[in-house]
Amino acid sequence: MEGAGADTRIEIRNLTKKFDNFTAVDSLNLTIETGEFFGLLGPNGAGKTTTIGMLSTLLLPTAGEIYIDGEKLTRRRTDLKRKLSVITQEYSMRQDMTMDEIMEYQGRLYNMPRKEIHARTEELLSFCGLLEFRKRTVRKLSGGMKRKLMVCRALLTGPEILLLDEPTAGMDALSRRQMWNLLHKLNDQNLTILLTTHYIEEAQSLCGRVAMMNGGRLEEVNTPAGFIESLGAFALDEMTPEGLKSRYFHRREDAMACLSELHGQFALRDTTLEDVFMERSGKHLT
Amino acid sequence: MGIWTVLWEKWVEFRRDFYKITMAALIAPLMYLVVFGLGIQTTSHGEPYLNFLIPGVVALTTMNGSFNAIAQNLNVQRLYEKAFDQVMISPTPLWQFIVGQIVGGSLRGLYAGGMIILLTLPIGTGLVFNGFSLLIMFLNGAVFSAVGVVASFLAKNHADVPRFSNYVIMPMAYLCNTFFSTEQMPHGIREVIGLLPLSQSSGMLRSIASGGPWNAAGILILLAYLAVLMGISFWFIYKKQTI
Repeated sequence: MEGAGADTRIEIRNLTKKFDNFTAVDSLNLTIETGEFFGLLGPNGAGKTTTIGMLSTLLLPTAGEIYIDGEKLTRRRTDLKRKLSVITQEYSMRQDMTMDEIMEYQGRLYNMPRKEIHARTEELLSFCGLLEFRKRTVRKLSGGMKRKLMVCRALLTGPEILLLDEPTAGMDALSRRQMWNLLHKLNDQNLTILLTTHYIEEAQSLCGRVAMMNGGRLEEVNTPAGFIESLGAFALDEMTPEGLKSRYFHRREDAMACLSELHGQFALRDTTLEDVFMERSGKHLT
Repeated sequence: MGIWTVLWEKWVEFRRDFYKITMAALIAPLMYLVVFGLGIQTTSHGEPYLNFLIPGVVALTTMNGSFNAIAQNLNVQRLYEKAFDQVMISPTPLWQFIVGQIVGGSLRGLYAGGMIILLTLPIGTGLVFNGFSLLIMFLNGAVFSAVGVVASFLAKNHADVPRFSNYVIMPMAYLCNTFFSTEQMPHGIREVIGLLPLSQSSGMLRSIASGGPWNAAGILILLAYLAVLMGISFWFIYKKQTI
């Protein structure tokens, strides 16, 4: 064992990725435990997708290392890659293959027995409501169906670690909720999940811990509740001539006291992870 | 085994696009044979020019069939469809993926070249194509499949592969002992062109076809090209950014 503790599934040490003079990820250090549902949050260009790219070995790090179960991950480590499944941000599929062929190709890439590929394909496509479209080529699928197919493909191989880069992008609200339920179930079965998302409520609802990234750097790792607590659990929104202004309070009494001094339109509500995200991103923008 | 996975993928593609693949592979070589062989009837080395031309066209069809089967396909998978990402992520050893591409491309080249041999049979030229011919066609296809892999890895956009084809493949198709003998070229250029893989393949196929002795050293030259190109492909896929 070269990496950290026994329960550590993923360990990232000083991970850096530069594209020419641009540093996309800067000395990232992160540890994700077995069975954890971990979120990576940050504004566009924060380095989330680049991090997933290096974890999936699509991108080679400029510096630093990644350890899976204590073993250093490289493109040659097929034993470690077998534990991973990735749902990339883009639809990474042959457009001219049918759903069945996409699944079979994936199964073959993971050296699965043909019988198992067919049985699992049937099960997964059925679960995602895609079975009747199995002979349809990817080119003829809607965006949501492609997303679901990518999920089926990722789950086909029975991964121990699931890397999700914006998995619900392009899905309607119902499909997104179905996906959340599915991810919850998978996580309950001790599957380690790393998620990047633009839907902050997704991270708040699903993730046990969240890392905030900005400009390629890791800012803080905390639980969603911890982040909210650090900002203040109560949010007071006030509509001003300059726009919506939010103020945050740790105690309801303080928020109520402030409320009594306000005139015009206002609302008192619970703080969300999105408030934390907006506050942090906003600070960097100003 | 990753090689079988790639071959299965190529088979799915071949089965689906059978007519398109076949027609695309045959049109240009048949035109060469009709125009240069049957249309402009002449002789070469005291023989009908068609006897000189057919082995050269078989070699260049093998080259084109293999290169086209791999280069553009892999380029689209890498840059446009991103399907190549799934291969990179998967536990399939990447060298097996490369070897699979090369074998799959060779088989496509062999298919295209074999079709030309079959279609020219009724002409009754008396040319001989035997097991060695098939071996040379397969090796020629392997070399140009490997060229296709390298070209697709070098490509930065979709137009780069057709450009590469224009700069490298097309000149070879015309100059490498296919339509005319390299003996007619000026000293210096003749030796350089003579060492190119298509020149070797054309030369060996022509010698076998005419029943004469053939220089088996050409096979070693093809194997050397294949080894170097595979080495470059492995370097790309393991050590370089491929997306």
